[in-house]
Amino acid sequence: MRARNLLSLEETSRAELREVLDLAREHAAGPLDRPLAGKTVCLAFFEASTRTAVSFELAARRAGADVISLSEKGSSLEKGEGLIDTVVTLDSLGADAIVLRHPAAGAARIAALHTGAAVVNAGDGRGQHPTQALLDLHALSDRFGGFDELIGRRVAVVGDVLHSRVARSVIPAFRAAGMELAIVAPRTLLPLEADAWGLPVLPSVDDAIDWGADVLYALRLQKERMTGGSPRVPSVPEYARYYGVAKRHLAAGALVMHPGPVNRGVEVAGDVVLDASSLIPDQVGSGVAVRSAVLALTMGAVPSRVAA
Amino acid sequence: MTHGAPTNIPTHGPDDLVVRGAHVLDPASGLDGVMDVRVSGGRVAEVGEGLRGTRSLDADGLHLFPGFTDVHAHWRTPGREDEETVETGSAAAAAGGFTGVVMMPNTDPVIDRPVVVSGLVRRVEGESRVRAYVSAALHEGLKGERLTEMRLMREAGAFCVSDDGLGTQSAGVLRNAMLYAKDAGMPVILHCEDHTLATGVVHEGVAAALAGLPGSPGSAEDVATATALVLAAETGARVHVTHVSTALSAALVGFFKGNVPGADVTADTTPHHLTLTDELVRTLEGMYRVNPPLRPEGDRLGVGGALRDGILDFVATDHAPHASEEKDLPLEEAAPGFLGHETAFSALYTELVLGGHLSLERLVGAMASAPGAWVGDGAGRIAEGAPADLALVDLSEEWTVRGEGLLSRSGNSPYIGRSLKGRIVGTMVGGELVQDRTGARFGSRA
Repeated sequence: MRARNLLSLEETSRAELREVLDLAREHAAGPLDRPLAGKTVCLAFFEASTRTAVSFELAARRAGADVISLSEKGSSLEKGEGLIDTVVTLDSLGADAIVLRHPAAGAARIAALHTGAAVVNAGDGRGQHPTQALLDLHALSDRFGGFDELIGRRVAVVGDVLHSRVARSVIPAFRAAGMELAIVAPRTLLPLEADAWGLPVLPSVDDAIDWGADVLYALRLQKERMTGGSPRVPSVPEYARYYGVAKRHLAAGALVMHPGPVNRGVEVAGDVVLDASSLIPDQVGSGVAVRSAVLALTMGAVPSRVAA
Repeated sequence: MTHGAPTNIPTHGPDDLVVRGAHVLDPASGLDGVMDVRVSGGRVAEVGEGLRGTRSLDADGLHLFPGFTDVHAHWRTPGREDEETVETGSAAAAAGGFTGVVMMPNTDPVIDRPVVVSGLVRRVEGESRVRAYVSAALHEGLKGERLTEMRLMREAGAFCVSDDGLGTQSAGVLRNAMLYAKDAGMPVILHCEDHTLATGVVHEGVAAALAGLPGSPGSAEDVATATALVLAAETGARVHVTHVSTALSAALVGFFKGNVPGADVTADTTPHHLTLTDELVRTLEGMYRVNPPLRPEGDRLGVGGALRDGILDFVATDHAPHASEEKDLPLEEAAPGFLGHETAFSALYTELVLGGHLSLERLVGAMASAPGAWVGDGAGRIAEGAPADLALVDLSEEWTVRGEGLLSRSGNSPYIGRSLKGRIVGTMVGGELVQDRTGARFGSRA
């Protein structure tokens, strides 16, 4: 069995997505027979992360793998070891998979050039965050009653698309799943070529509801975008008024998603986060099963139904 | 929610009025000749010959233009009502034939929050004789740092955004603001001035050198204008460059209009930059301090040519009232700014039209048609269904500008003592005469 990588969802297909989600469903149904027993999974986090790191670690351990984590304080990463040196070291130690989080887009791609281990991109700069989009699709499939039920559903991706690796995975993955997308964001939080994805750009969440959004996918707005040297948006009240998901949007029938952590009252109103129409807890809950499935598939620890 | 000018002017007049026998000149509608204009319900009902109505105004020997629009004025409200109020500013505007005015946000407090916008909109509704549009600040406190809540301010009634008076110093900050203003659906009025270059009080030229006054070079404006134009082209924001005062800045505007398809750019220059030069600073009088400063003759001619050719779209006065204690000072200590509303047409008619540098038609285009089109709402043209916003003008009347004769609350006009030709006889907004020197010209059942 040879290793596959999960670097990006830009070129993903419906079949590939289905393969991951089907396996994730098996993992979610109950503990499998330690499919990763004897495998070594290395978590190399060059950037602070709590939920993603914990979720991957849990996913690896539940599937029976040994886990080495380089994300802790005092590790070689904190001492400034470079990306390639770290990857080569992990490779020499016999890693079967390297889960990489890095502040620069393309880091996972470079890492994959220097190791025979499977590389799983756990977020690289503004580039990609593939497992986030996969677990989102898992949560959505559960809510809508199956992967095929996603076809034709309308999703508005709301907020800071410019700085978001989540958006860069969610947009192509959701599209591949057959969903229709739109973007809701101020131009200050979009690339200059806002139609890079060929999607409609709407001026407010209210407009997204008019457009027929079934799902409002809110992106996190980093605080410095509001308060830094040259803020991208003028104020929380103005951002929340046009780009915040509020109760009235759920009342209109939309579901809300957010990759976390949520700025309550900014991207999503406080009374919406745990509403029955919120998939935010389901997204987190999907993480372990989806990441177990990803690790298993990348390390070839299950019979693959799609040729790699 | 409309974003047009709030006004207290009734939209329905009591009955019809025929303005009879004026020479109607409106480049936008292609009218140029003696005819009648019937006004009803606040709008132009009919243009033609031998029109009938319940009342008539004998305009024989007068010219009738679309009302002028001034997209750059400081009515000092709120905060400096000792210098100008909405009442006196709008009276001065009406006296100058202006039926629409954009108020700049560098007041005290600055117009940079939705609640301040709605407060000013209410005052305009109660006090203004003309259609007054609120320009909100582009950045909080005009400081060029934090964006204002443009979308909320637009909902509160703001029409456009500007950091006028200071300009935005960082190109990165300005670009961000243009992108945001584009989303907010508001044009950006730009005062182009680079503060690292604009360190003086007058134009850095021969006059400044001889007078011993610290000068700001023309590059202080040109560099900032170039930056603004480049960013306008890249962002696609609707940008208006105000008070262009150098030949080079005018040429830059022309280059972008002619060669850069993405640029949604308009520009204006002022009556004083079209008629006065920096020779005046040799007097060392505080009166002649203004920003951008009066320029040498070469710039005056360059800007005038650009206006004639349509490179500069229109005239805006930068009406900037100041109390006498801020102007009766040595030039270096005086506040910059001139009154503009009441003398704009007469000064430009006298100097440019009678001087043979500009056609009357182009002057009307630059004061009425083009700025009217810029604010929208059908302003700036005499046509069936358009608002009855009109200026009735006696081109033969000669008058001398005197401080006590001005309706502005301040007296800082650089034309005081000058004899000008052409004067506004009446100004009509929504069919109502808001400036009336028509005397015995009214009759009924004519």
